[in-house]
Amino acid sequence: MQTSRPFVFVMFLFLCSVAAATVPTTQEVEEALTCQCGCGLTVHSCNHLQCGFAIPAKQEIAKQFGEGKGRDEIVASFLTRYGEKVLSAPTTTGFNLAAWIMPFLAVIVGGVLIGLASLRWSRRNRQHESAGAQAPAVADQYRDRLKKELDAFEN
Amino acid sequence: MTHLGALALYLAFALAVYAIAISLWGVVRRQSLWIASGTQAAYAVFGCVTVAVAALLHALVTRDFNVEYVASYSSSTLPFPYTVAALWGRQAGSLLFWAFILTFFSTVVHIQNRTKNRDLMPYVTATLMAITLFFLGLLCFITPPFERLAFTPKEGSDLNPLLQNYWMTIHPPSLYLGYVSASVPFAFAIAALATGKLGDTWIRTTRRWALTSWFFLSVGNILGGRWAYEVLGWGGYWAWDPVENAAIMPWFTASAYLHSVMIQEKKNMLKVWNMALVILTFALTIFGTFLTRSGVISSVHSFTQSGLGPYFMTFLLLVLCVSLGLLLYRLPELKSENELDSLLSREAAFLLNNWVFVGLAFATFWGTVFPVLSEWVRGIKITVGPPFFNKVNAPLGILLLLLTGVGPIIAWRRASAKSLRRNFTAPLLGGVTAGVLFFMLGYRNYYALVVFSLAGFVLMTIISEFYRGTRARQAMLHEGSAQALGRLVGKNPRRYGGYVVHVGAVMIFVGVAGSSFFKIEKQTSLNPGESLEAGRYTLKYTGIKNSEDDHIASQAAEVEVFVEGQQIATLHPEKRLYKRQNQPTTEVAIRPTLRDDLYVVLGGYDAPSGLATFQVFVNPLLSWLWIGGLTLVLGTCITMAPNPAERQALASARAQERMTEAEEVVAD
Repeated sequence: MQTSRPFVFVMFLFLCSVAAATVPTTQEVEEALTCQCGCGLTVHSCNHLQCGFAIPAKQEIAKQFGEGKGRDEIVASFLTRYGEKVLSAPTTTGFNLAAWIMPFLAVIVGGVLIGLASLRWSRRNRQHESAGAQAPAVADQYRDRLKKELDAFEN
Repeated sequence: MTHLGALALYLAFALAVYAIAISLWGVVRRQSLWIASGTQAAYAVFGCVTVAVAALLHALVTRDFNVEYVASYSSSTLPFPYTVAALWGRQAGSLLFWAFILTFFSTVVHIQNRTKNRDLMPYVTATLMAITLFFLGLLCFITPPFERLAFTPKEGSDLNPLLQNYWMTIHPPSLYLGYVSASVPFAFAIAALATGKLGDTWIRTTRRWALTSWFFLSVGNILGGRWAYEVLGWGGYWAWDPVENAAIMPWFTASAYLHSVMIQEKKNMLKVWNMALVILTFALTIFGTFLTRSGVISSVHSFTQSGLGPYFMTFLLLVLCVSLGLLLYRLPELKSENELDSLLSREAAFLLNNWVFVGLAFATFWGTVFPVLSEWVRGIKITVGPPFFNKVNAPLGILLLLLTGVGPIIAWRRASAKSLRRNFTAPLLGGVTAGVLFFMLGYRNYYALVVFSLAGFVLMTIISEFYRGTRARQAMLHEGSAQALGRLVGKNPRRYGGYVVHVGAVMIFVGVAGSSFFKIEKQTSLNPGESLEAGRYTLKYTGIKNSEDDHIASQAAEVEVFVEGQQIATLHPEKRLYKRQNQPTTEVAIRPTLRDDLYVVLGGYDAPSGLATFQVFVNPLLSWLWIGGLTLVLGTCITMAPNPAERQALASARAQERMTEAEEVVAD
């Protein structure tokens, strides 16, 4: 245990130095909102010259930040005014939760099914190997000979 | 000339109908002359579509503003390259261009197979001509490109200024080449299902077409990103716009297919899966163009939105019903004796790799259509933007990067503890070294360090593969290192070209991670002579230069760039006004280096005071994204090099199929 203490301390320092900033910024809020000018970008990314939505929105966000409001409060104020379409990602409540869950569910379930199928195939193959090969039929002999000659040619 | 073009389209339509009917009837009646007639009709369709394309190009180049398409999308001052690019710049022209590429590829396929695959070709002809017929139907009856106006305007409305860019002249053709070439493996898959010839022949015959499709989709996506980066001026290159997603989804499934097909060739497994991937890839190309043109989901690519959505959706449903119906019909014959020796094997790694690619395609599809679904279910419009796609796809992307390193070096069949130690030690060290190196260089973000470490891991696996193969040749054949390396790649271009593609992919990951997690942004207004700091750069604004011609009025700022007090560059970000459309655009000034891109946008200018507003981005490591794209292109070209071993494998596949048929006849 004593020899591991310096290691733990070094890892702690490493993790501290690598930790991402947790203080919210105006950029974070701007990225959480979609510009309504039709550009399809977030409020932060929209660079339409004289954009009628993004420019006032950025000013509003900066103002509310200056008043000490947090990210969630500022986003909620835009949500109240413009509806859910102003959010750049779906919420995690109600039907919108399906947006987040489905991709991971599909990948995990599919991955599990593939894993189970792979286990079954590998067990089947081990059973074939342990049962031993029977004398091949005539066509199988020619097939094996063809395969060997082709493998030798290719190598 | 345009009347000739319109007539050519109607003739092409009729010939396409004939080609489908006579090819299938020739199979039913076992009449090779009728099948040959179908092939000739396919050639004639290409000829007719070529005439139509020539007619529209002629109208554009001669500025025939009596043609509605020409009047709407060009002008007398539009530079020649963009005048030609206007052919695919808008709805009808882009559909005509699609039909042209499709019939050209159809011609190539027929020429390539004039003495082989005789059982499959009638169905290939019918399938390709059926797809062509759909597009010709749209061109003849729904959105004809040769409509004339009741009057002749003196001047055209000009092409959208956002499309008047070098990258936009090549990005759409590249994507179309990618989309359309996916039709060929699909046609052969349908032919294989229809005939019951479900061996490896159709896969080996269409491997290069699948690779071609993947290649052009890759190039098209990269060029689209480059265009967005240079023209849109928001400092980024990918916004998960629905139309961008439409282009990346078939790329994901095509990538999965190119990997899983190796399993079928080696182990005779995954036949159903490969069929499904080919069908899905083609279906996604149709879905992609449906998204671009239907207006179902709002997109920055709004220039082609129209009422064609229902037609594309109907065609897509027809494609899925026919192809999946055939697949279900042939399911008993497709089922293979799936064998997997171990979960710790290359086969298992490839299976997982496939699943991740399909997972990425599904996640992207789901996020793209979810707004429509939400509106349908709840009656509320929502947006699914970059934060969603980044959160969902990034973990899958990182898993894919890991598998890119594991797949090539884990043993086939069963990896022993010894082989794992032998093959993974150096790459693991490479990964740790890369992580520490980037940490020391100041790139301190968890996700980015994971990506950089995995990048190091993957690069070491590739280097070790090249090293071991070269050393083996040197030991056996006493070749010099350069010669051994050259012959190593030459003897197996598919494998080693694939490794080069993986190197390109690693570079792309590094570029994305660097520019995503460490971007610096500044926006400020400056008077002439004032400076701003952005990262390691100091930018000094010295003044504005105005210029004008018949087409564009421009204001270009002069910005001197300093690093540690030394001037290293002068940049000229511009604001432009395209006079015909009275539309302002921004021309970004970019100074790329391997370390970072300095990206400067002139956001606004007040002439009386000289005050200029600048947006400045510093995008670390972004150049590696474009270098990675070029490397990926190089790798793909290597994989497509002629390979005698591949020809032999194709010939043996055909021989084995004939042997199987002979056995069945004897058994009967």
